[in-house]
Amino acid sequence: MYDHIFKRAQSLHGDKITCEKKHPQQLEIKTDRHYVMNLLSWLKTESYVHLAFISCIDWIEENQFELVYHVYSYEEKNHILVKTRLDRDRPWMHSIIDVWGHAQPYEQEIHEMFGVYFPGNPDLSGLFLHNWKDLPPMRKDFNPKDYSLALYSLKGMGHEALDMDFIQEITELEVE
Amino acid sequence: MEHDNIYLTNLRDEKQNMWTGLANYFRKRSMWMLYYCTGCGAIELPPTMTSRYDMERLGMGPMATPRQADLLLITGYLSVKTLKRVIWSYEQMQEPKYVVGFGSCPINGGIYWDAYPVINHLEAFMPVDMSIAGCMPRPQAIIDAFEKLMDEIQQGKAVGYKRYRKHYDWYKRNQDLVLNRQSAVLTPYVDPFASMPTAAELMAQESEDSHV
Ligand code: SF4
Repeated sequence: MYDHIFKRAQSLHGDKITCEKKHPQQLEIKTDRHYVMNLLSWLKTESYVHLAFISCIDWIEENQFELVYHVYSYEEKNHILVKTRLDRDRPWMHSIIDVWGHAQPYEQEIHEMFGVYFPGNPDLSGLFLHNWKDLPPMRKDFNPKDYSLALYSLKGMGHEALDMDFIQEITELEVE
Repeated sequence: MEHDNIYLTNLRDEKQNMWTGLANYFRKRSMWMLYYCTGCGAIELPPTMTSRYDMERLGMGPMATPRQADLLLITGYLSVKTLKRVIWSYEQMQEPKYVVGFGSCPINGGIYWDAYPVINHLEAFMPVDMSIAGCMPRPQAIIDAFEKLMDEIQQGKAVGYKRYRKHYDWYKRNQDLVLNRQSAVLTPYVDPFASMPTAAELMAQESEDSHV
């Protein structure tokens, strides 16, 4: 099913690329980040017209981020995952919004959650987080529990317990 | 004077004068609610509102805008971003106004107690008149809570809005702590790409680095 993709991809990028069949309907292509754009635009002409999503994985022990582009073909009815690794200290990746316009918010979200920078994407402002000043929260070295306890717990907010005086007051204050 | 009917009995409550008692009686009988469906609890409201449990027999009905509503339902977890909107909505409501927190999330964070975007104690940001424990409470529990709330209104105990007015600085401080934070909580993050370089610049820099 994937044979022609295999062959063609090898001939295009030679040893820069590794293909592996993960599942009868899932092909994994690993490549260098500079070839991804090329590869994706070629796949788009090969009936893989649907970019389902982009995900990012934090391989903290290898000090790398991995980006996975999921593309789907309605004709072949199968997936291709295009994977690439980025340096975790300076993570950036070419934006693919010229190939798929709707990749813009995907990249915006990855930028917000992992700190991966996408030059070429016109809007990388915050999407979900409010007033965020810490490490991007989906990174493995960010500790959500410590964050939550430091900010949202009563102790973090500087109260020993929810003031008992307050609860007392409910009963006293009712009528002016 | 002997009064066996409940509304007159309540008028005898020493803490209320006749007019507030009377007003409270009518207040509890016509509550328009604004449901802020932030969390899982939204799914328990349709059966509560429709024919199965039919909250309209308690005199409650949905209302479209905060300015016309009496009751604010916080149906589940609140993220920081929604907290800001909830506070706006709450402050727009006319007094008297009541808040009901659904489920464990507004009480203490529930299963999101260690999540970075979700606040843990709603009570710290706005006054909650009634909390319903459970994850998620069934419609029976919700109806039960509404009945309790109506009792409290009648007895003049549901005075969260007065508390909010009186202790506004306390609530405001907590709100500011979360919403208008000026510094990082744990590690400050320095974006290495803050200057927004282009791809060409980044590549040129990288090839320079690799030659060194
Ligand atoms: S208490 Fe449970 S059901 Fe309710 S919002 Fe939290 S997790 Fe969801």
